[in-house]
Amino acid sequence: MKNKINIYLVEYAINAILRQKYKSLFIVTIFTLLTFLLTSVFFITNSIRYELDSTVDALPQIIVQKIKAGRHYDIDVNLVDDILGISGVNDAVARVWGYYYFENARVNFSIVGIDKYEQQYKNSFTNLVKDFDFDDINGTATMLVGSGVKRTMQSNYYKEFFNFIKPDGTLKKVRIAGIFDGDTELESNDMIIMSKDLFREIFNFEESKATDIVVKVANPEEIATVVSKIKLMFPDTRIITNHDLKVSYQNIFDYKSGVFLVLFIVALFTFFIIIYDKSSGLTSEEKREIGILKAVGWTVDDVLKEKLYESFIISFFSYIFGVGLALAYVYIFQAPLISNIFSGYSQLKTSFELPFVFDFQTLFLIFFLSVPIYIAAILIPSWKVATLEADEVIR
Amino acid sequence: MILMPEVLTILILNVIFFIFAVIAFVLSVKIFLKWNFNSTDTSQYKLEKQSFLAATIIKYIFAIKVPLFLFFIFTLDKISHVLTGAMCGAGVVDATVYGTYLLILKIINLYLFAYWLMLHSADMKEESQPYTKLKFGVFIGAFFFFIPELILEGLMFSAIDIDRIVSCCGTLYSSSASSYISNIFLIDTPVLLALFYSNYLLILIFYFLKNRYLFAISNLIFILVSIVSLIAFFGTYIYELPTHHCPFCFLQKDYYYVGYAIYALLFGGTFYGLVVGFIDSKYKERIKNYNVSIFFTSLYVLLLSLYPIIYFIKNGVWL
Repeated sequence: MKNKINIYLVEYAINAILRQKYKSLFIVTIFTLLTFLLTSVFFITNSIRYELDSTVDALPQIIVQKIKAGRHYDIDVNLVDDILGISGVNDAVARVWGYYYFENARVNFSIVGIDKYEQQYKNSFTNLVKDFDFDDINGTATMLVGSGVKRTMQSNYYKEFFNFIKPDGTLKKVRIAGIFDGDTELESNDMIIMSKDLFREIFNFEESKATDIVVKVANPEEIATVVSKIKLMFPDTRIITNHDLKVSYQNIFDYKSGVFLVLFIVALFTFFIIIYDKSSGLTSEEKREIGILKAVGWTVDDVLKEKLYESFIISFFSYIFGVGLALAYVYIFQAPLISNIFSGYSQLKTSFELPFVFDFQTLFLIFFLSVPIYIAAILIPSWKVATLEADEVIR
Repeated sequence: MILMPEVLTILILNVIFFIFAVIAFVLSVKIFLKWNFNSTDTSQYKLEKQSFLAATIIKYIFAIKVPLFLFFIFTLDKISHVLTGAMCGAGVVDATVYGTYLLILKIINLYLFAYWLMLHSADMKEESQPYTKLKFGVFIGAFFFFIPELILEGLMFSAIDIDRIVSCCGTLYSSSASSYISNIFLIDTPVLLALFYSNYLLILIFYFLKNRYLFAISNLIFILVSIVSLIAFFGTYIYELPTHHCPFCFLQKDYYYVGYAIYALLFGGTFYGLVVGFIDSKYKERIKNYNVSIFFTSLYVLLLSLYPIIYFIKNGVWL
């Protein structure tokens, strides 16, 4: 503990690393690559999670769904009035939304029906109803589409309008009025917005039903109480709060990076074996070096210490280098290739920006996964080297 | 079982620790049984070589254990975001039956390994290596604390159930709780404070008298007294909340991570205090240990005392 770091030993260690150019270069390259890969994955998950977290904050606080036979079912619009009666509830809105499968491009559009004279549950919608008019002009219905939807439609030659196929097989022609920009691309890319009446017509949705009900509570502390009250009033509902969503996002991403880490362990283990092997096999040059050092008067402890310094310098350098590369790769080049693992497989894949999130804990995490493992790999070989007999190796 | 990168990292390192600890244990037993410094035969010569390996391994484990312990606390805080009901590490520790024992074991092991390291450095300073047998004996003992820690850690992380609701620290550390912790709150504040400061005074007196055994014993008692008073009294001033007693929450960002400083000072002070009593080192060495110990302990007492005093100056009342 109190034996201070010997500067001369450090200097000797650095020189030793430089002397064995190719061996050191080989180890540093592989090691840097490994830390780089690992760090990139963690940086990407952190950024996406951050992005999702901010999306969740914009979501409604409580969502009430009806459950029938264990499956999500349409809910009665009348429930809104009962929910509004609960004290603490600011607002409750029945939402209609769903997915429309566009067979030609094999993608799902998310379609949201909104009502102009209703309190909107999203800020982006409030601005929308101010600027756009969904009322039929000249008898044609209109809608707003997200940028991803617009692109898909255009590549299928739907430039001015789109034909929805109704449940009975007839067509419904809807004019594309413009492009809708949400707060985040994650939210608006695959979205189509139209009036509630049009939505009900396309999907043959009953007037008295809605997809779910969103509830706004003035005081976030009261959410739990309001949830339990709704649950008591309507036992056949499933109630999701924005906190639940946040936790499940965290779980998903922990799971994804956890699975990656499990696969990574294999790579790490291979690396461990390579290093162990590399540092066990000594060239005659190195053996002579140890012999001379011991003949000059170095103790086992000195040689061991020098070897450990050497490994620490190599591993720490590779760690810093790998993390630096990952920073550039993820935040400057927006992580090509690797980010695909996390962004899903839909045709309408969102092309999101990775926001810069710096988390010290991630750095610690990667440190623990790289430096100690490297040092562990060279521990026993170093000891073997350090306890070589001077007379044996010089001979 | 939660498949969290942090948890996996800890488990991977635990596997490495386990393998190395077993190697060091086997070597330690051999050395402990057969060590004879005056012998000149080959087996003794081999043992001397092996003692270097064992010592390096133990040093390696300790060097990573200390930052890993902080990382462990960090991880507990992170898991608490996922667990329903938990607000800080206390909820996670309480979520499984293993948590409390694991934490206690971890702290004991920190003291044990640090003690081993002091023995080792004292041993290496002298040519005749007088402590070699003792230090490997100590490791054989420490091994039986260390392996349960690794096993418990694995068990704890696999037993955590995300869907179960756990207790928050507010209910665990409150006077209405029915657990053994609530007994702490039965002690009157003046009595507790008198105990705390008189214990510190005792340490000071023994420091000036340079009585090493009494100094160590008073330090040992101080560990307990200071943790109890931290939970029952000083914690409330850190939170500026008379009902909040949690010894974990102040490790979080909202309190500027002050908990890490508090526990580090307490560990540093009491550990060097114990070293003075346990290791029969040279006079100069011992004086240094005395000074380090009293420095950390005084800083600890000063830091904790400042919280209520500043609170009083700001608000004009006690909590």
